[in-house]
Amino acid sequence: MSWDYFIYFSTVAVILWTIGAVLAFKKDKRLLPTLFTVAGLIVFFAFILGMWISLERPPLRTMGETRLWYSFFLPVVGLITYERWRYKWLLSFSTVLSTVFIVINIAKPDIHNKVLMPALQSPWFSPHVIIYMFSYAILGAVTLIAIYYLLREKKITNTGKLMEMTDNLVYVGTAFVTIGMLLGAIWAKEAWGHYWSWDPKETWAAATWLSYLIYIHIRLKKGTSFRTAMIVVIISFVILQICWWGLNYLPSAQRSIHVYS
Amino acid sequence: MNKTNKPIWEQPWGYFEGFYIAIGIAVSGFLLQITIGNLQLNAFQYPVNLIVGLTFVAILILCHYLFKKSSIVRWLSSVYATVPAIVVLLSVIIILGIVPQFVPYASPHDIPHNLAGLFGWYQMTTSWTFIFISYFNLIILGFVILKRTRRRFTWQDIGFYLNHVGIFLAFMGGMLGSSDVSRLSMTVAEGNVEWRAEDERNNLIELPIAIQLDTFMIEEYPPKLMVVDLESSLVLPKNKPVWFEYEGENKSKKLSDYTIDILSYIPNAAIMHDSLNTYAVPFHSEGGASAIKVRVSNAEMDNPKVGWVSNGSYMFPHSIVYIDEKTAVAMPVQEVKKYTSHVQVYTESGDIKEAIIQVNKPLTVANWTIYQLSYDESKGKYSTTSVFELVKDPWLPVVYVGIIMLLLGSLYLFIVGPKKKKS
Ligand code: HEM
Repeated sequence: MSWDYFIYFSTVAVILWTIGAVLAFKKDKRLLPTLFTVAGLIVFFAFILGMWISLERPPLRTMGETRLWYSFFLPVVGLITYERWRYKWLLSFSTVLSTVFIVINIAKPDIHNKVLMPALQSPWFSPHVIIYMFSYAILGAVTLIAIYYLLREKKITNTGKLMEMTDNLVYVGTAFVTIGMLLGAIWAKEAWGHYWSWDPKETWAAATWLSYLIYIHIRLKKGTSFRTAMIVVIISFVILQICWWGLNYLPSAQRSIHVYS
Repeated sequence: MNKTNKPIWEQPWGYFEGFYIAIGIAVSGFLLQITIGNLQLNAFQYPVNLIVGLTFVAILILCHYLFKKSSIVRWLSSVYATVPAIVVLLSVIIILGIVPQFVPYASPHDIPHNLAGLFGWYQMTTSWTFIFISYFNLIILGFVILKRTRRRFTWQDIGFYLNHVGIFLAFMGGMLGSSDVSRLSMTVAEGNVEWRAEDERNNLIELPIAIQLDTFMIEEYPPKLMVVDLESSLVLPKNKPVWFEYEGENKSKKLSDYTIDILSYIPNAAIMHDSLNTYAVPFHSEGGASAIKVRVSNAEMDNPKVGWVSNGSYMFPHSIVYIDEKTAVAMPVQEVKKYTSHVQVYTESGDIKEAIIQVNKPLTVANWTIYQLSYDESKGKYSTTSVFELVKDPWLPVVYVGIIMLLLGSLYLFIVGPKKKKS
């Protein structure tokens, strides 16, 4: 398996996800949309697995490889929220966002490269990155909800249910961000001798975490406007993006040990 | 924000007062920074840090009981104090994430002399601003936890305690303990025993343990080939550089616009030049380089080019095969896959521990953890010296208890989720 096949696998996956998303609007039964989405996920995961085998290491090292997991987890999150809260448009949103990341990967593919430097050869590597990617997908989905809310504020009828879903997703996303961060700290201790050195990646991870904590805490007060809460969700996601890739363009990152090749 | 139209500073305080206070604390940090400069870390070493920590907790508990009715203590344990404190901490951390950082022991001459330097932003984590706003967060966190203990305990509180006590321990343990961390580096040659190491300021320190290096080994990834543009030294094609890894002799690969046939491979070669050619022969002692004989061709070339490509070693130069004046086939330096030190560690009490140390596989002996850090890079895979990092961090257990509590707290957040709102 190599990146050359990515376009075929991803096209099939996107078509299946799109059919699933459209059927979610058409049918009242959840069976067919679920089946199509799951089928798309299987096809997409087959590609990830193929890469894993041919690279002889988990595909998690480069930017493009992390985008791969992101594109995979978005429909997973879309599907979970669809099953739980029955919001039909979530499947379409997650499909669109996932497609955006697939297109970036097709336009800017990674080099086929088996190299994994010694520091990354650790049992902590896969859980750390996969958990982060999963949390990024959840927080990406909740950002879409926040944007949807701010654009259609007046027209939304059941804001209570929407806020409940937002709270739930932020809690789950923050839980996974916390776990990813702490596994990273334990691993750093194992690999570099210190659990936290304020390397730019760590600094921005802390910023991301604090930003979502602000959401959790302001929501504890009944007086907080939904609008403010949704804006905090969006700002937090911007910080998360800086943590993920934006940091490569910052002056502080010149000496980071974490910048992806 | 505050819905009521109460004048600011009149009780009960809300977010506005919170922002004034949090920003005020950050600004006093700035002012102190400008007057006296960075915090001196060694001033906080054991037992000063332990005393400071215990006093801090004692004062929190005392205030909690003595000023039960005080509206300020009550406000300090509320979300109205929490959110502004976290927002200001977040802002400081964002500055820390943008401004390039210097190590705490950097010479003052190296640090840029501008406004950011004056504020201590190039060494943010030891600046007074950072310390002040961090402790302000800890004070609030302490009061938040203490206030909760007044309520009758229910199982729903478990998530709250795990998260809040967890971050309190990890945060405070990390800050107080940072002055007690020792990080030393030790270079040992094969066959030698070493018990002296250097700290970050290059002072030599004698240790209660000694390391004997029996053997040191480096494993490299297979060599790679690529086509480079010699003027720009970029790998071709420029917009989508490609290379391939050696997989065996008699293979053909497409690389950029060329076909590369692998004719032969010598893992340990001497690279020789005569007036016309460069060639490689097997080399039977230390210092040989990887060399691959290639034939390069494409439809536009009259004759294929044949020659040896090598990335050289400390004994031999590297070698490329020219396709034309501007392009050539080259071999980049091989990446290291693994480096391994076989050691015996002696302690003062006379114990001997035999072990293998690798990156990600440190060894702990008598409060010291020994990490594989580096080797003699000028000799590459023929290095016979190994560089270790030795770390002692006596506060680590406090931080780890905090981290484990936070991990469990996160599982609670994930499984239980937010409180159900009545509306
Ligand atoms: C700077 C650190 C923190 C401060 C000052 C702080 C402060 C507070 C305050 C004042 C409350 C309301 C408590 C009450 O109603 O009795 C609260 C609740 C809460 N905090 Fe924090 N917190 C901090 C860190 C965290 C962290 C690290 C997490 C999670 C990862 C967290 C998650 C929560 C949750 C979930 C609640 C609601 C708990 C419940 O009511 O059961 N907080 N926090």
